Amino acid sequence: MEALILELKKEIIEVLNLEEIKPEDIDENAPLFGEGLGLDSIDALELIVLMEKNYGIKLNNASEGRDIFKSVRVMAEYIEKNRTK
Amino acid sequence: MDVTICSYCRLTNDKVVVNGMEIPIQKTEGPWLNDIYRSLKISYPKFFKMDNLSKAGFLASELLLKDEIIDKENPKKDISIVLMNRSASLDDDRMYQETIEDKNNYYPSPAVFVYTLPNIVNGEIAIRNKIMGETSFYISEAFSAEKIYNVAMDAFSDESISQVVCGWTDYELNKCDVLLLWIRKENQNGIPFNINNIYHLHI
Repeated sequence: MEALILELKKEIIEVLNLEEIKPEDIDENAPLFGEGLGLDSIDALELIVLMEKNYGIKLNNASEGRDIFKSVRVMAEYIEKNRTK
Repeated sequence: MDVTICSYCRLTNDKVVVNGMEIPIQKTEGPWLNDIYRSLKISYPKFFKMDNLSKAGFLASELLLKDEIIDKENPKKDISIVLMNRSASLDDDRMYQETIEDKNNYYPSPAVFVYTLPNIVNGEIAIRNKIMGETSFYISEAFSAEKIYNVAMDAFSDESISQVVCGWTDYELNKCDVLLLWIRKENQNGIPFNINNIYHLHI
């Protein structure tokens, strides 16, 4: 799980162009939206694309993201259970 | 109507010039526009999410509309933003095309898609500076001081507009060509805003 969390942090930094943030700067238990990283709705859509492209997880309903993207740890747990690649 | 250029910024692939003075930039191996951002010590994390066209226009506007010149906190309805370029958003259009052209690897990028319109740069400048006046973006086959002059002067036909951020913001295939002007009507200080001066500031 810890390896997946680190991998996910690196992917998030890359796809969301969080240029000045390092993986260790991201608290895996902190909310991804609303505070902390200051992500916006376009970032949420990019995370949905990331889930499908890298892990084969297709979110049919964008509102599912609300729960899945609570934190990097929650995201990693969801990926571990549902990944197809 | 007398209109003057209060300040101007010329941004190209190797130089940043503000009101005739070159701004020193600490160059690295990384992207030039990011070097400018860091040299100017701007703190605006959204910068890194922008496309190159928006980054270039945003940086030029930061140099023109510094904190001591413009109040970034309160909405301003008397400023308009009128920009023009040749390449529209072609770089982003191509990048977006790459994300959708392979049916077996079809992952359209929302973050790239939002920049597939050139006038997004107007929005980035307006949001940063809380500029609420009308904004517009024009495409021209080539740099034209005359066209820039005409569309910028048109902005003053709205009597509530007293200042315009205008100019040429082009970025394609790593070629950056920006001339941003901050002009005011009925202002005594500055360079007269006319076709000849726009032309010479772009050289």
